[in-house]
Amino acid sequence: MAALALEGLFKSYGTTPVVRGLSLEVREGELVSLLGPSGCGKTTTLRMLAGLEHPDAGVIRIGGETVAGPGVRIPPERRGLGMVFQSYAVWPHRSVEENVAYPLTLRRLPKSEVASRVKEALRWVRLEALATRRPHELSGGQLQRVALARALVANPRVLLLDEPLSNLDAALREELRAEIAALRARLGTTMVFVTHDQGEALALSDRIAVMNQGVIEQVDTPERLYGEPTTPFVAGFVGGANVLVGHVRDWEFHTAQGDAKFPLPAGMVAPDGPCTLVVRPEDLELGGGEGTLLPLSARLFLGHAAEYRFPVGGTLLRVVGPPREVRAGELLAVRIWKAKRFASR
Amino acid sequence: MSTHAAPGRWLGLGAWLVPVLFFAVGPVVVLLLRGVGTTGDLSWLASEGGALGNTLKVSTGAALLALVLGTPLALLLFRTDLPLRGAFTVLFTLPSAIPAFIWGMGWLSLASPRAGYLNRLLGDGTLNIYGPAGIAFVEGLSGLPLVLLAGAAAFRRVDPALEEAARVCGASPVRALLTTTLPLALPSLMSGAVMVFLMAASSFGVPYLLGVSASPPTRVLTTRIYELVLLGGDGGLARASVLATGLLLLVPLALVATWALGRSGRVRLSAGKGMSFRLFPLGRARGPATVAVGVTCAVWVLLPLAAILLTSLQRSFGADLAWRELTLAHWSGVLLEPRTLRATGRSLLLATGAGGLVCLLGLAAAVLQRSFRRAGAGVEALAVWPYAVPGTVLALALLLAFSRDLRFILLGRVAFVLALAHTPWLLLIAYAAKYLALGARNSAEALAQIDPSLAEAARVSGAGPLRAFVDAPLPLLRPALVVAFVLAFLACATEITMSVLLVPAGSEVLGTLLFELQSYADPAAAAVLACAFVALVVVGQAVLARMGRRAVEVR
Repeated sequence: MAALALEGLFKSYGTTPVVRGLSLEVREGELVSLLGPSGCGKTTTLRMLAGLEHPDAGVIRIGGETVAGPGVRIPPERRGLGMVFQSYAVWPHRSVEENVAYPLTLRRLPKSEVASRVKEALRWVRLEALATRRPHELSGGQLQRVALARALVANPRVLLLDEPLSNLDAALREELRAEIAALRARLGTTMVFVTHDQGEALALSDRIAVMNQGVIEQVDTPERLYGEPTTPFVAGFVGGANVLVGHVRDWEFHTAQGDAKFPLPAGMVAPDGPCTLVVRPEDLELGGGEGTLLPLSARLFLGHAAEYRFPVGGTLLRVVGPPREVRAGELLAVRIWKAKRFASR
Repeated sequence: MSTHAAPGRWLGLGAWLVPVLFFAVGPVVVLLLRGVGTTGDLSWLASEGGALGNTLKVSTGAALLALVLGTPLALLLFRTDLPLRGAFTVLFTLPSAIPAFIWGMGWLSLASPRAGYLNRLLGDGTLNIYGPAGIAFVEGLSGLPLVLLAGAAAFRRVDPALEEAARVCGASPVRALLTTTLPLALPSLMSGAVMVFLMAASSFGVPYLLGVSASPPTRVLTTRIYELVLLGGDGGLARASVLATGLLLLVPLALVATWALGRSGRVRLSAGKGMSFRLFPLGRARGPATVAVGVTCAVWVLLPLAAILLTSLQRSFGADLAWRELTLAHWSGVLLEPRTLRATGRSLLLATGAGGLVCLLGLAAAVLQRSFRRAGAGVEALAVWPYAVPGTVLALALLLAFSRDLRFILLGRVAFVLALAHTPWLLLIAYAAKYLALGARNSAEALAQIDPSLAEAARVSGAGPLRAFVDAPLPLLRPALVVAFVLAFLACATEITMSVLLVPAGSEVLGTLLFELQSYADPAAAAVLACAFVALVVVGQAVLARMGRRAVEVR
């Protein structure tokens, strides 16, 4: 049985649709990420799951129980969830252990059990030593670990994480990411993880739901999402690929703007007509005798390689290759040697 | 973000609106309708033209005085390295914390034509505090902090880069200050002056003290309304409500003026957060500037208070200024008198009750404001609006609405009389309505700084909407609520304007006791009470300072 099921969710704020017909199932013990650019509706979806927003249409089931749907509206406090917020939301007027004890106190557990479970939860996040500290004495990473302990202490049916790492600096983000993975391995809690960072999603998730403009574009394992994107958006967002819109004529791809044409890569069979070409930066080749001559607009040194940018087809075409001495404005030959073609929608 | 279930929200809005509309807004609207709808013989109005003229004259004078004195003072206090500027700022904000009536008493002791201390030093009749000029002078003084605070806020918001740009263009430091920062801050300073105008037009105690017994008497709208209510006989109430309508119409005019000034100001001020700008070094002018500010402070703030203290210690006001004429008899006499003790008890009880209501309804207003996207502004307007209504008008409106004559008809058949007039309950309602703005503004500002996720985290942890509010945001709102309570408590405990109209016969409160002692009986006893008021205010302000947080002054 699915731990979590969303069926045909719709939500608008005023006249602006935010979530437009979203369906998703999450299995017991699974970690599913909602990945997408800001404004794609991922946080709204999570808030509907938590019960902080109510969907305009659609059904939400947690462990088989309908918590939101026509005529059903279970408030957040009776959904048995845990949630970690981007802003930590650690109560500043309570100590660390008081924060963590709160969900247990509300469930009227005996004092001794509360104490032992708080201690255990603090051990999970390695904060036993700071139990009596006040939040203003803690760093951002420690605060978020308090929030994690608080969300997990009452054995939630599902743990919701709303961009929990976005307010942290790079090193802490790495550390806490590992911590979340370890906690999951240890507790086996079902988790829904909202993020706009594809690296985070790829590293942590069992499956990723890529969202765009209120709908899910693709749900898949990180490997399949990266290797076999089913839409140009997913390819562009997850793999960082170039997305070129145009059409094919006589084994050549022409950009929609008409400012460049590329011979189709070897082995690609494409009928004439409009299509979208998705090309990873490392699947483009620079120099060599043949190719399309394009003016270089910028060169970014990456250390092991360099990224070259060319204004083409209304975007910046990014090419990654070995570092070379070139100057902006120079004309360079660019050749596509591997690409994925999508029929235009 | 709405975390409350929709029906609960609407229920809450209703529970808040009913008392606010019924007790604060409704009566004023009824008064307005009655005042506008008065027909018949209005020829008596011509004889009241003088009162309207005096109100405008006095208020304009007070506003100009506060602006002319407040602008350079604000520049010196908030933009220069003037020594002791912190202490000066505290002293210069005292005038609005202590009731204007007490400043009037102080200046009466100093500059009443024959017995005033200054006149005795300078020769008989040099100064005369009675009349329009004297009223405007005292009102201008007690409104000065409004201009200063507006100036402080404006100077903080003007982008220092603008002034630096002028310097780079070749302007001297003084010229850069006067040609960039000052013009940009001027709209704010002027909106402070408009507030002084409104305050002076609403003021009752000072014009009564310095106008009614002047020769010839100077009457303003508020004192005329008071006379008509108390002595006007049958037609008095009706006439008073017409005058009150006139006074009330000054409020929207003043509010429109501040709104327009605020708009013209906002366009050019950078909305940035606390930019640090360099304080303007006074250089060689430091000494003279300090002396000038110090003397102003001594004359305007300390001298009147000292005069009251002296009066309270003198055997009788007007006696020779000699050591043997000093006595503590008034102090023990006044403070231990049963009449004083009873009034104190009543005032403290009323102020505590009103303070509690202000916090409760103000907090509710802030929460409603946040949970309703569009209606929120309306809630705020309703909560803040009675503060702008002159106290005399609000008191008269309540008196009329809850007199024995007015019947409330329910469902077209059940009629009942809510005769609260001439009971202490009406005082409580008046205080709570008038100062609701303090609770609403303080809570709203504090609530805006609290992330909604704190309450949401409590909800997801298993707390219901009420429990989540009590556990998460409420403890964080406590400092703001304490500030609101202390401000409302002080204002109510020292309130005079509404109290003199509403107090039931035979049960005085502190404000009316002070008013009666000063007006009819015993200036020395009044001075003792005034000293006690000042002590109360100073203690209250010290409590606020300890809260370590600047109170939100309602404007």
